[in-house]
Amino acid sequence: MKRIAGVDIGNSTTEVCIGQVENGKLTFLASATRPTTGTKGTLANVHAIKAALHEALESCGLAESDLHTIRLNEAAPVIGDTAMETITETIITESSMIGHNPSTPAGVGQAAGELLALDHLDRAQPDHPYIVTASSAFSFEEIAKKLNGLPASVQIRGLILQADEAVLVENRLNRKIPILDEVKRIGEIPEGKRAAIEVALPGQSVRMLSNPYGIATLLGLGPEETRQATPIAKSLIGKRSAVVIKTPHGNVRENILPAGSVTFHGQAGQTVEIDRGAQAIMEALGREGEIRDITGEPGTNIGSMLERIRRNMSQVSEVPASEVRITDLLAVDTLAPVAISGALAGETCMEKAVGIAAMVRTQKLPMQQIAQRLREETGVSEVKVAGVEAVMASIGAMTTPGTALPVAILDMGGGSTDAALISDEGKIFMTHRAGAGELVTMLIRTELGLKERNTAEQIKKYPLAKVESLYHLRLESGEMRFFDESLDPRLFGHVVLLDGEKMIRIDEDIPMEKIAQVRQEAKRKVFVVNALRALKTVAPGKDLRNLSYVVLVGGSAEDFEIPGMLTEELSAFRVVCGRGNIRGVEGPRNAVATGLVLSAMGEMA
Amino acid sequence: MDEQVIRLVTEAVLRDLARTGKQISGEELTRVITKILQDNPPPVLAQAGPQNAKEALEAAVRTDYSQYPPARKGTNPKEVVIGVGPAFQMEIRRTINGIPHEEVLRNLKAGIEEEGMVPRVIKVLKTSDVCFMGLEAAKLSGSGIGIGIQSKGTAVIHQKDLYPLSNLELFPQAPLMTEEHYRKVGQNAAKYAKGEQVKPIECKNDPMIRPKFQVKAALMHIRETQQLDPAHPYIEWEDRS
Repeated sequence: MKRIAGVDIGNSTTEVCIGQVENGKLTFLASATRPTTGTKGTLANVHAIKAALHEALESCGLAESDLHTIRLNEAAPVIGDTAMETITETIITESSMIGHNPSTPAGVGQAAGELLALDHLDRAQPDHPYIVTASSAFSFEEIAKKLNGLPASVQIRGLILQADEAVLVENRLNRKIPILDEVKRIGEIPEGKRAAIEVALPGQSVRMLSNPYGIATLLGLGPEETRQATPIAKSLIGKRSAVVIKTPHGNVRENILPAGSVTFHGQAGQTVEIDRGAQAIMEALGREGEIRDITGEPGTNIGSMLERIRRNMSQVSEVPASEVRITDLLAVDTLAPVAISGALAGETCMEKAVGIAAMVRTQKLPMQQIAQRLREETGVSEVKVAGVEAVMASIGAMTTPGTALPVAILDMGGGSTDAALISDEGKIFMTHRAGAGELVTMLIRTELGLKERNTAEQIKKYPLAKVESLYHLRLESGEMRFFDESLDPRLFGHVVLLDGEKMIRIDEDIPMEKIAQVRQEAKRKVFVVNALRALKTVAPGKDLRNLSYVVLVGGSAEDFEIPGMLTEELSAFRVVCGRGNIRGVEGPRNAVATGLVLSAMGEMA
Repeated sequence: MDEQVIRLVTEAVLRDLARTGKQISGEELTRVITKILQDNPPPVLAQAGPQNAKEALEAAVRTDYSQYPPARKGTNPKEVVIGVGPAFQMEIRRTINGIPHEEVLRNLKAGIEEEGMVPRVIKVLKTSDVCFMGLEAAKLSGSGIGIGIQSKGTAVIHQKDLYPLSNLELFPQAPLMTEEHYRKVGQNAAKYAKGEQVKPIECKNDPMIRPKFQVKAALMHIRETQQLDPAHPYIEWEDRS
């Protein structure tokens, strides 16, 4: 009788599986999972391995001395890193427009007139339309009193306020006009210029000022001026309220920022500018075939990002940075909310950005050292580095009920997406692709403009709900859930994440639907794209239709929606794809550790 | 409240504090003040009339509220009720840091109005505890959201189904409140009524504010509690501001 432990050191978790061989028959005794200590492939991992081993052994009444063999995985020598580059910026010149979403503007409709400060009301000419600006030095009572006291011949068509008091002023005015508020830098609005103002109905956005001809109508523009006003109209799409001011050189400009370029060292050796966007980068990458290395333009953001990855990897693997090779890259188009320079009301604009995940392949990780240390510390004489991770994962995945050869596995972790295929003849093909969970987290964080990375990480993991009263919440699916006891008052009105019974509050004021949409988009952009990319590489004849069973393993396979997305996507190719269930009990976890134990059987036979 | 009395008592309490080295709870402080006043009737109070200082405090005239209409229960879902303390705008006219009660109400109401909700003011006479006050206001509010405000300026936003000592938002450090803060309290209460996401109001926090204002706060609270009138638990206070 022999007892074997399989140990899988992953980027985030260390998994252990214990098996017992008796008369050529293998039984699985126990398994355990612990968070990995230190960077994968370093001596620091030993702590987590020992803890996981101990936990597993204890659960079946054994000790370290009862083990005959410990088998470690040959960890995939792959490290991923991510970065984000904004490639556009928007600038408003000469305070030519205000377009924001104050929570409570007042009045509805549009108007045009000459800009006039409240202090200069006495200068108003009769029968000439004006739009009045009022600083927060005036209270809402004073503003209303001044405007109500004007003779009927003075025409005030609209009002722009600095304070958040639009409704208060409107409730006290005799005549109803569109009122826009919360314009922080009201002093910079040029007096005497012609302007158009618009406030949309609740739940709608401006229609006149987001239309170039609408601006032309209100401000009396000629054809050439209308052409120039088009960027302004574009930037006002989706805003609740807006002002457009006619100034000689005022406009909204979109600059393309120099973000550097990447060079692929493959068959064609192309260089691609980052600002051409993700699609151009990925197409160029696809044409290269086998990639030897990827370099960034020195002195640019992309250049320093790729250098940083190189340095990190060289530290882990003790290979000089000059010999570290970046072998894959995933670029994803995204949008990032950035404050517009020259804005009067703190407006932000969704600027174009490119998110990049890169992957480095090096020499073997120093696994032998870990094996040596483990031998010393556990007293188990036979500690072996046995087999490549992807192979072991495939063998482990085969224990999922309902699979048959040829079986492909898809291991989606934090830094990379790995695929492997065992063919009918038992031959193994494998690939590693840059981009996985980390990139999704970064995309969520960027697009929602979140301050904390951790919030993005949690949004990725848990489904959403909106606390609509202290006794009920509306789930992402539209379902209602009621409670007998009141919820924590601090959750009231907030969007929360449901981690089992625990609720995590999101402090940012973003609608639940928007968060869900961004989250799903990010997962699709990374996981679906990468799964297809990786599976195509290992599929016979590079055709997904030649695959029959795909088993999802690893951390991301436990996600509440990614397996569904992939099942949907791959069913179009008549491929059976689903979350693995290792040994019929473990779910998508423990595939590698199980594979290590199983492969020991093979060696003994 | 007579500033001289406050100074006298504060000094006595601080001496006591320096000697024993421990902070006193609110209740204990009320006892201590009453005792100090009993033992050493300050000349100011002595001049004022009764020899016994405790009596001087207790003999305060209680306002008769029997002619005021009792507060009704609102039915308008846009309504947010503000419940003011028993001494509000009557025996006490400014908050602990000197903001006139008219300004406090004006800002609370403006905040509610700006968010498109409708304010209503009642006076709560059955309790002087801010949380219970807020809860009473919430129970009479058409939206189920109420604001409780003591005469010294401590405020709370409450919801009708919550336990009294729980709340939606509490603003315990009255000496640090400004008119802008009261505006935001009104806005937040209205947002709760609308079921919108509410951003917590940024308030200053000063750990020294409690010892510094403890005596004044206690005296104001005593003064407010004197005006309790259980026979008229809550009355309409709409046209007072």
